[in-house]
Amino acid sequence: MNLPPEQPERPQTPKGPLRRDDVKFAAARIALFQYAIVAVFLFLISGFWDLQVRNPGFYYEQAERNRIKALPIPAPRGKILDREGRVIVDNHSSFSLMLLRENLKLEEVRPVAEGLGLPYEEVIARLKRFSGQPRYRPVTIKDELSRGDLAFIEAHRGSPEFPEMELIHAQRRLYPRSGLASHLIGYVGEVSEAELNTVEFVRKNQGDVIGKAGVERQYNDILTGVDGQRQVVVDVQGNERQVIGLKEAIPGKPLRLTIDLDLQAVAELSMEGRKGAVVALDPRNGEVLAMVSQPGFDPSKFTGGIRSHDWQELVANPDKPLLNRAIQGQLAPGSTFKPIVALAALESGVIDDAFDARCPGGATFYGRYFKCHLKGGHGVVDLHRGIVQSCDVFFYTVGNRLGIDRIAEYAELVGLGRKTGIDLPQEQAGLVPSTQWKIRTTRQKWYAGETISVAIGQGALTVTPLQLAYAIGGLAMGGVWYTPHVVADPNRRDTPRRAAFNPDNLAKVIYGMYGVVNEGGTGARARIQGVELCGKTGTSQLASNEALRALGTSEALKDNAWFVGFAPREFPEIAVVALVEGGLHGSTAAAPVVRDLVKTYFDKKASRQPYPMLAREHSPEQGQTQ
Amino acid sequence: MGSLLSRYRNLTLLLLLLLAQLILVAYQVRTDRDVRLLRVWAVSAVKPPARLLAAASSSAAGLARTATDLWDLRRENRRLAEELDRLKIQNRELRAELGTAERAQALAAFQARTPSQTVAARVIGTSPVIDSRVLLVDRGSSSGVQPGMAVMNADGIVGRITASYPTASQVLLITDKRFAAGVIGGISKAEGTVRGFTRDLCRIDYLQNEEKVQVGEWFYTSGDDRLFPRGLPVGQVRSAAPGRTFQDVVLAPSGLSRGLEEVLIVVQGVHQAVPAAEASAPPAPLLPPPPPADEGSPEATEQARPLGAPVTDADRLLDRYRRTAEEQKRPYGDNVPPKETPAAVKPAPAPPAPAKP
Repeated sequence: MNLPPEQPERPQTPKGPLRRDDVKFAAARIALFQYAIVAVFLFLISGFWDLQVRNPGFYYEQAERNRIKALPIPAPRGKILDREGRVIVDNHSSFSLMLLRENLKLEEVRPVAEGLGLPYEEVIARLKRFSGQPRYRPVTIKDELSRGDLAFIEAHRGSPEFPEMELIHAQRRLYPRSGLASHLIGYVGEVSEAELNTVEFVRKNQGDVIGKAGVERQYNDILTGVDGQRQVVVDVQGNERQVIGLKEAIPGKPLRLTIDLDLQAVAELSMEGRKGAVVALDPRNGEVLAMVSQPGFDPSKFTGGIRSHDWQELVANPDKPLLNRAIQGQLAPGSTFKPIVALAALESGVIDDAFDARCPGGATFYGRYFKCHLKGGHGVVDLHRGIVQSCDVFFYTVGNRLGIDRIAEYAELVGLGRKTGIDLPQEQAGLVPSTQWKIRTTRQKWYAGETISVAIGQGALTVTPLQLAYAIGGLAMGGVWYTPHVVADPNRRDTPRRAAFNPDNLAKVIYGMYGVVNEGGTGARARIQGVELCGKTGTSQLASNEALRALGTSEALKDNAWFVGFAPREFPEIAVVALVEGGLHGSTAAAPVVRDLVKTYFDKKASRQPYPMLAREHSPEQGQTQ
Repeated sequence: MGSLLSRYRNLTLLLLLLLAQLILVAYQVRTDRDVRLLRVWAVSAVKPPARLLAAASSSAAGLARTATDLWDLRRENRRLAEELDRLKIQNRELRAELGTAERAQALAAFQARTPSQTVAARVIGTSPVIDSRVLLVDRGSSSGVQPGMAVMNADGIVGRITASYPTASQVLLITDKRFAAGVIGGISKAEGTVRGFTRDLCRIDYLQNEEKVQVGEWFYTSGDDRLFPRGLPVGQVRSAAPGRTFQDVVLAPSGLSRGLEEVLIVVQGVHQAVPAAEASAPPAPLLPPPPPADEGSPEATEQARPLGAPVTDADRLLDRYRRTAEEQKRPYGDNVPPKETPAAVKPAPAPPAPAKP
């Protein structure tokens, strides 16, 4: 069988490009793909090289840092209570904002500062202050966050433009809103660089909170607890996943003061809007029952770190609101010093029961005329009347007889011119001038004419309100002085300081002080029905008459008003001093303060009711009101 | 006999037939009927089966008719059900369209009256992650949208922008646990922070137990977060109960109540007053802080006070003494505060001068 010859396959005519071109195109595409693959692999290898060879430590550290976060648990400070256990200073729930510094970039701080109303420069300065601390330790940039602050922080947490923020829930100080007893209590704040260098705070760290003033400072060790710590595992976004370590904070111990809140409240209200101080002591043991200094301040402004403008406002205030006038105000005591001069004269034998002086309204000593406060004069004045009527001429004469050194001796004996030793920081000593003092400080001799002024509580003589209460309280006790203190310690065993005064002499002086209040004397406004309140008014000038005439009438140069009193006359339980700066007259400005305080004390003692009814026991017609 | 009959069988048969006919005739005459008896008989004989046949036939026809009716009925029923479904769907669609139109209308009206500058956007996607409550909207950085901007609709706030791309942006919904914003009660004026809680609800943090927050109270943005302008409705309190440190307050966000299709992005916020009663319709990078409340007002006091600041026994006691003095009109220490406080001076060394008592 013959098969037809096989027809050779006819090549088809390509419709598109030539076959040879097709191959080239495909080969080019394959090559391009291969190059792309190589490029991708090179990119991956470079990344791998960076991760594993070039910077493995950096990435490892980053991963580790993000894994565990240590957050402090601030220990609450101990509460401060009054003598009956009522809370004066408490703690309250509060939030603080901490910045975690491990990945912190300074440019991220600006929106936080802006949002929280903090000056950017202050925040940066604060972060720089902590630069010496380990970076794992977060830095608190704001305490006492408001709800608005919390809303801001919560809304921006996790935003890439913001740094890593942590909210710490802590118990922060809650002070009385009214600034009640602000000087006595003091305030807390972050330990400063200077304080860190002292032995007292050597174990503290930057950012720790310490007591800065008052009781908070004095009893800082008792009030301070031990901070705890919480270690948590966090994910990449900073969310807590697990708590791996928890060390609870140990709270500080509560502190019971000798302060009676009822008396403190009355004293505060009596001094509201005024400038001055009130101190109430129990002379039987030195317990401070009330201590007020006005103007006061708001201690809570310090708890979250006081703002610079608030601080400037405080330090620039001419009324010096940070000054605790009760223990730091050193002012001439005026006529409240006269009982001490009288005692000195009796004890030293300069005068006796028969001694009297004639007051025509003034007297000349060493060529200079010294006026009495009563223009027409008191006539013939003995010791009792001299105290009751506060006759200046009588005490000019007695002081002249005593001489400055004997006055100084007795003044120091009753506790003036030196610190009382109260358990509060920065107490001032006042000044009792003497011949030695003048030579020591001015290299000049003492002139006898200067003694005349000191005899009526003027001149260089200065006392603090606490010193005056301490001195007169001790005299009322018959020459026994217990160290004033503000913390009630049941184990406290004080050895009082004693002075051996002639009881008759003391009785005469005390009788004079009784007359001041109860026999139509200058302190008649302080009289209380049923209470034998003894006292002495004082009005101290800030400048001489010549200076006052030259300067004209000035609010700043108005006389200071004093009143010091104690009750009962025998076996006294309370001694009170009131100072009203610029009050003009002790009889009208200061005596009612002491009256209401003493009345509150005895009302409370009698009825055990904390809210005594007020009653003015005096009539304006009684006694001299000047 | 038998053979006889068989022999004359035909005759016999004939005779019998004749006899029978005679009897029948006689009977017919006697009964006086017009119908022939044979017919009567025939009819009588045929009638029962005919009746039966008719009954059977009628039954069969009825059955057939019933079956047909049932068939038709079923078919009609199916048709009606389909029609109902179709109408339902149509109804839903129409209602949805109506809702969309209403929302769009409300949104447009809201956008027109809010003082804040806003950009309208459509929701184009949601997050597939279960825990995450994130949306995508069709406006991005080319429209001026930036991260941190508030997202809202006519009913309230919806969330905030967390990322923006040229033509789209990501919105973190108010119910996401990562969301937080400052809020204030319309009646109680209690301030807190709203956070995502469950899929449909939020909670409010940092509300003191003492604050009287009531179920149904409206909360508004406080502006403290510097993201949301003050005064935008956030939602109504669903439940409020005292907690260990703070109140446990759950809030139903109003911005999500009618679905999310269109939203407004606040590109420039303007703070507004917080309404005292129910919300109607309200008001980017950091907004300016909200204006402070009137000095002395309870709101201002609350704003200024640090979080959770109660008072001490000392405060209470001082207040009681103050009230006592005011009631008796006898100030302690005869203290009538001077109109102006004299400036302090340093105690100058006093030269000889007369002392006053």
